[in-house]
Amino acid sequence: MTMLPKATAGARKLGLVIDLDTCVGCHACAVSCKEWNSGGQAGPLPDYDKQGPQPDGVWFNRVHSYEVAEEGCSRTVNLPRSCLHCEDALCVTVCPTGASYKRAEDGIVLIDPEICIGCKLCSWACPYGAREFDEEAGVMRKCTLCVDRIYDTDLPEAEREPACVAACPTRARHFGDLADPQSKVSRLVAARGGKNLLEELGYRPTNKYLPSRTAVIPTQPRQTSDDAGGGVGSALLKLLDRALSR
Amino acid sequence: MKPAGSILLLTTLTGFAYGLLAWIGVYACLGLLSAATRLAIVGVVLGLALASIGLAASVMHLGRKERAWRAFSQWRSSWLSREGVGAVLTYPVAILFAVALRMDGDGILAAMLGAMLAFASLATVFCTAMIYASLKPIRQWHNSHTAPDYLICAVFSGALLFALLRTALSGTPGPTAVIATMAAAVALLAKQAYWRHIDAQTPLAALAAAIGLPQGTPVQPLDAPHFTENYVLREMGFAIGRRHSAKLRRIAMSVGFAAPTGLGLLASLSIAPLAATAVALVCAGAGLLTERWLFFAEATHVSALYYGRRI
Repeated sequence: MTMLPKATAGARKLGLVIDLDTCVGCHACAVSCKEWNSGGQAGPLPDYDKQGPQPDGVWFNRVHSYEVAEEGCSRTVNLPRSCLHCEDALCVTVCPTGASYKRAEDGIVLIDPEICIGCKLCSWACPYGAREFDEEAGVMRKCTLCVDRIYDTDLPEAEREPACVAACPTRARHFGDLADPQSKVSRLVAARGGKNLLEELGYRPTNKYLPSRTAVIPTQPRQTSDDAGGGVGSALLKLLDRALSR
Repeated sequence: MKPAGSILLLTTLTGFAYGLLAWIGVYACLGLLSAATRLAIVGVVLGLALASIGLAASVMHLGRKERAWRAFSQWRSSWLSREGVGAVLTYPVAILFAVALRMDGDGILAAMLGAMLAFASLATVFCTAMIYASLKPIRQWHNSHTAPDYLICAVFSGALLFALLRTALSGTPGPTAVIATMAAAVALLAKQAYWRHIDAQTPLAALAAAIGLPQGTPVQPLDAPHFTENYVLREMGFAIGRRHSAKLRRIAMSVGFAAPTGLGLLASLSIAPLAATAVALVCAGAGLLTERWLFFAEATHVSALYYGRRI
């Protein structure tokens, strides 16, 4: 069923909030995602030419690094890019089979690999390049928001979060309900001015990105021997400085 | 966007096929087929055969060909699904039309079914065009030229095929050559207008917007996520051959549109009409395939922006 679900009161909008200020671009989220989804319910994720000269494969998460030019020194912004579970998900409505769908209860966009015919149209419809084709299974693949983890009651409650969130060493990734204004993620978005990627294309992504902050820490000028203070030690240093300056 | 052979074949062949079926339907509707039942029936068979080859080619594009039947279910939201439904519905309409024509000539039944056939054929072409026109991340497709251009190309290529059939079966092209000549000229102008339009477009977004930075922030890629091309870059970041686009446009323009216009004019003047329409058809086929290749190769996708590619 590829019509987008009607907005219902109380429906959750599960998604990620990614802090570009603290993301260090270590790729741990991408690697952990690949690992989890190679073995989990969505797996296996194929790799081609694994040990060869042209390694390639399906990943749900790709970490880019950009250089933002600023006065003086440039700044690095790392951008983990994955499915944003858009509210106006064109990848869902273009699907001819109903394999690509958005869940009414939590807004997660999924692909049913048993129905997908591999026409690739959904990947053309996604401006974020979030869908990758599985050449081995002949079907499209994408981030599932670890739907097989977040609802797994066999896991301790603290672990019921996407693998990428669990793996992040700087806690730059946050998972939660963006429909609830009181949730931790919604409060973060409000406090930090969370942004949509490619806002002007109008896909209304659920995932938000917290802009990196320009940190300036004022520092005092370094002390020189002239103002190093009194005492025998500093007198000797002054003498030495004068002798060497000659 | 990567031009896939199967899709080029699909859109070009169904253009010829549904264009031909549409013209036969219109002719029947106007009562112009009274003495040419054989022409119409041969045309219907040829049209359905060409459409079938095109549709079979499109199935070859699928990752799971055995599931192709599932594509008919989502016609409420998906243009691809609607295209499939339209293509399948055209078969019974065309067959019923041919039977009606055979049974009672160009009576009211054949006229009605002819109108339905023309509508179903053009509607299918329209659905094909809308698959591309509805894709917001591709500025060269998501515009007001795409749908009319597909319809114009189908009407043009179908008119040419109809003119050749008519000349081959009855010796003279009659009005079909004049119609084909005019359609070729209209297609030529439409294609030029399309190229002017996409050349004047600006990119849909800048890299700053793609990564959530304020407009105008100077930003450039530093490290890519991976060293080799992945699916996204192969499919959506296709840039091979874009540097030849000016030359290929001239080839498509002269072979695909200008030559058929000139040859159609010869046929209209009854100068070697059979040879003229036959050569025109071959030219149009080659030119339209080139034009369709360019439609894909020149199209850029917003997602390539993340890799620092020009869109």
